[in-house]
Amino acid sequence: MSAMLEVADVSRRFGGLMAVDGVTTSVGEGELVGLIGPNGAGKTTLFNLISGFTPVSSGEIRYRGEKISGLKPSVIASRGISRTFQNLRVFPNMTVFDNVSVGAVGAIGQSPWQAIRSGSKRAKEISERSWEALEKVQLTRYANELAANLAYGKRKYLEIGRALAMKPDLLVLDEPAAGLNDSETAELAAFIKELHAGGLTVMLVEHDMGLVMSICERIVVLASGRKIADAEPAVVRQTREVLEAYLGVDE
Amino acid sequence: MIDPYYLQQLTIGISLGMVYALMAIGFTLIFGVLNVVNFAHGEVYTIGAFAGIMAIAAFGPPFLVIVFIVLAVGALAGFGLERLAFRPFRRFSDEASLKSRAMREATLMSSLAMSIIAREAMELLFGSEFQTIDISYLINKPIELGPVTIVNGDIIIFVVSVLMLGGLQWLLKYSSIGLSIRAVSNNPLGAKYVGINTDRTIVLTFVIGSMMGALAGILVGLYYGAVFPSMGFIPGVKAFVAMVMGGLSSIPGAVIAALVLGVAESMSTTFVSSVWADMVAYLFLIVTLVFFPQGLFGARRERV
Repeated sequence: MSAMLEVADVSRRFGGLMAVDGVTTSVGEGELVGLIGPNGAGKTTLFNLISGFTPVSSGEIRYRGEKISGLKPSVIASRGISRTFQNLRVFPNMTVFDNVSVGAVGAIGQSPWQAIRSGSKRAKEISERSWEALEKVQLTRYANELAANLAYGKRKYLEIGRALAMKPDLLVLDEPAAGLNDSETAELAAFIKELHAGGLTVMLVEHDMGLVMSICERIVVLASGRKIADAEPAVVRQTREVLEAYLGVDE
Repeated sequence: MIDPYYLQQLTIGISLGMVYALMAIGFTLIFGVLNVVNFAHGEVYTIGAFAGIMAIAAFGPPFLVIVFIVLAVGALAGFGLERLAFRPFRRFSDEASLKSRAMREATLMSSLAMSIIAREAMELLFGSEFQTIDISYLINKPIELGPVTIVNGDIIIFVVSVLMLGGLQWLLKYSSIGLSIRAVSNNPLGAKYVGINTDRTIVLTFVIGSMMGALAGILVGLYYGAVFPSMGFIPGVKAFVAMVMGGLSSIPGAVIAALVLGVAESMSTTFVSSVWADMVAYLFLIVTLVFFPQGLFGARRERV
């Protein structure tokens, strides 16, 4: 299995706090990997390191063999890693269609000169990609609605749609099930599995253990910034450190 | 029958309002993407006017060429301004820093500093008095429309402003630059993560806003025949009022507020002396802040 994303001995320090402490792991092509851990374990920080939002203090992150730590988030995104956010970051005052188009524009790149010719081949590609992504997340009929008017659950799908419009190879989802009820979570699980079956590599941070256990092929567990487990769900469930890390944390 | 005098004042008011609108858009666009007020915007207006009259003095180009020269100088001014007064304070790119108070206050001071430097530099170079302008370039030739007399400047300002505003709307709605600008205004971090180059988008916003500000400067300079280093201050304040009335980051709001302001000002000269007409803007500002703290058109906007 070739590693698509390699995280090599990566640390991130915030003042005196080691938010991520020497984590080494990898995501293979076509995998569906879950990242779990108690509150404050460094999951979101690790995601921010991967997407380039937070610079690494030490260590290196490689994507398809090339170093990506130190690159701008917009560059990393255009290489094929797109992500969603724990607290939604859709564009509330833009239509659903425009929201998704921003993803397409971001991925295709926005040269100021090309940008002005809206009738161009490029513009057509942006619109095609946007419709395709909207179809995948089943929001086509809301295309002209303002994102702010969508229900919370729908906005989650919109954010995933925006990420899909970038045609990523690796989709990174930060707590996609946060704020969803059980049936919505089940629906989301089925949707993520479907995306994965379509050939997408997915990495997901999640609090909802049920979701992670049911759909992920491999689970990485963080606690206090360190990796304490990296195995199949069945194995992780029985690892002593994991059980200890979760003791007293209501999940 | 309405007294032709009022129609005349109305035309002047609309011209004034259009100019305020062009300027207010600069404020509004920049406020949208960065949540900061660019206090050097009035100087961009002055620089536009000076660029125009210098071009006239140097080689007397046709009007349209002047417009393009002014737009180019405005673009350059916006670019330089962002580089010198705004970018150095954007060292951290997370959302909290991008829209933080520290960032707002730092750029408030730095843009104010830039405005003072630009104004003083122009006074040193050109003197603080009115500059001489070739009379044939002034856009105050009377045109008689029945009982009403307007000047060709009214028509020119109206046409040029409508073209600029229309062009801007098109750009924002249909081009990918516009899409990026709207995305960054809505959520800078979200935009960044989906691959939008936020720094470039911010520069482009300054460039576009400053082009409009510079154009407003030369139009007014040629309309009144008055170009001087501190000419940008009062229109800057008026445009600021229009932005606040319009709800800070709503472009249609700012345009409507600017027109209301322009017309109210020119109409008020009927009742009070023109010296007091400036007070109208401040009165509007106070009323807006007291009764509509969200602006007249900004109530529904979700602020980050």
